[in-house]
Amino acid sequence: MTQDATPPREPSSSREPGSSPFDGPPLSLDEELAAARAEPEPGPDIDTINESLADGLNRCPKCGSTDVRLRGSTGNLVCLFCRHEWHEARVEEEFGLGVGIDDLQGTVVAGGADEIAADAEDVVTLTCGGCGADVVVDTAHALNARCHWCRHTLNINERTPNGAVPDAVLPFKLTHGEAVERIREFASKRRLFAHPRFKKEFVPENVLGVYLPYLVIDARAEASYAGRGEVQTRRWTEKHGDTSTTYYAADVYRVDREVAFTVDDLTIEGAADRARFDSSTTNNIVNTVLPFDTKNAVKWNSSYLVGFTSEKRDLDVDDLHPVLEDQLLSIGRAQVHDSLEMFDRGVRWEQERIDVGGSRWVSMYLPVWLYSYYQENTKMLHYIAVNARTGETMGSVPVSQPRLIAAALTVGTFLEGIAGAILVGTA
Amino acid sequence: MISEVVMATSGDNAPLWILAAGPAGAVATYWALYRYYRNTDKSHAYERDTLIQAQPVQGSEEKVDHISKTRDSDIDGDNSSKHRVRVERLG
Ligand SMILES: [Zn+2]
Ligand SMILES: [Zn+2]
Repeated sequence: MTQDATPPREPSSSREPGSSPFDGPPLSLDEELAAARAEPEPGPDIDTINESLADGLNRCPKCGSTDVRLRGSTGNLVCLFCRHEWHEARVEEEFGLGVGIDDLQGTVVAGGADEIAADAEDVVTLTCGGCGADVVVDTAHALNARCHWCRHTLNINERTPNGAVPDAVLPFKLTHGEAVERIREFASKRRLFAHPRFKKEFVPENVLGVYLPYLVIDARAEASYAGRGEVQTRRWTEKHGDTSTTYYAADVYRVDREVAFTVDDLTIEGAADRARFDSSTTNNIVNTVLPFDTKNAVKWNSSYLVGFTSEKRDLDVDDLHPVLEDQLLSIGRAQVHDSLEMFDRGVRWEQERIDVGGSRWVSMYLPVWLYSYYQENTKMLHYIAVNARTGETMGSVPVSQPRLIAAALTVGTFLEGIAGAILVGTA
Repeated sequence: MISEVVMATSGDNAPLWILAAGPAGAVATYWALYRYYRNTDKSHAYERDTLIQAQPVQGSEEKVDHISKTRDSDIDGDNSSKHRVRVERLG
């Protein structure tokens, strides 16, 4: 059971050159010096700029009209002048995403996931005067917009001086009507103990379509874990007068595990306001409607935004590296879990390590239908969110504490009655 | 809950601790309903719902100690299923 002659491994330092898939062949001194002298390469690693939009206008490829918008039922763009329908190329094939993850080296960043800079003419970011959220509006198509969080009407004067154009966008698929149905169904299952004011003000038709910014990451990593595991060797019961006690004997093991793996399209929130998952927010709701069918994302074209709002990405690749490492560590722990069966008393991991061999980052707008409700007395924003591709729905409905407590006390009293009856009956 | 209480008291003398059933049931009811409405415990299960390709798990184990008598039925601090609870980071 114990693999003898396996000395405890020093993390990485004892590794033979070439034994790990992550250490390339050793460089010669000349090569190393040359590499050190080389200038950093300018520009993004994957150029995702849509050349057809170079003149700043999104034209119908058939008639040249600029009256173009997303047709929800097909996910295509449609020209309102000649009815021509088309879609941008899927980024998956266009930029070779999803392939070559095994060969990724270092951090590869697509153009739209590059550091945020002021480069968009028509796409502006407005700061909501109501709740402070940063909302991205395509001013070529909509000069007024509403905040998708608090429904405050945004004013162009609230413009902040940068916008972030993503590499790719996943068009809306679920229609407004379908989203209303999902939200109504979700809320109607949660009526009995809902806050009375929420019930009174609930208008699911007010749902807004919003593109939320994400970074979609392919990565290659090796994770290793060390800890203790215990195997039960004996179990017996000793009598002490009236009572008896069960005792155990166990062997204690030092346990090491490591696993190399790749992830395809790991999706992480790109807006700081939504990436914070503490208990004072309901951000976990938006997170829960992941994953999206990101393989179907297409090249960025702001026509996909018509009729929707979107939120600015304000987290860069550097900000999100720790989040990536954290998620890769969790994924690795899940992967090694099945190899721990022999430890029937459990395993306690004490140390862990992640080597990210390579990662590729693409900035993407993903579609969500959002019904938001601001609860005044607790100052908390509640949402019901619908994944506008898969229809997955999750929400937070404000509860009526008095009703909830009353229900809990009723159940408690009922159980106490049974317990009392049993005590009396067996006394 | 009720069946557990009944099971536990199938002996001749019901222990007094079953009087805790009332308060325990009230707290459990409160949290179950609260979670159903607020969903504070939900999140995206990226460990499972992501395209992951893993090579075979490598590793070793070495017996380092023996516990000859304990009342604990399992190891202290078992975190083998708590994938998101971080421990000391190396490297
Ligand atoms: Zn046309
Ligand atoms: Zn707002």
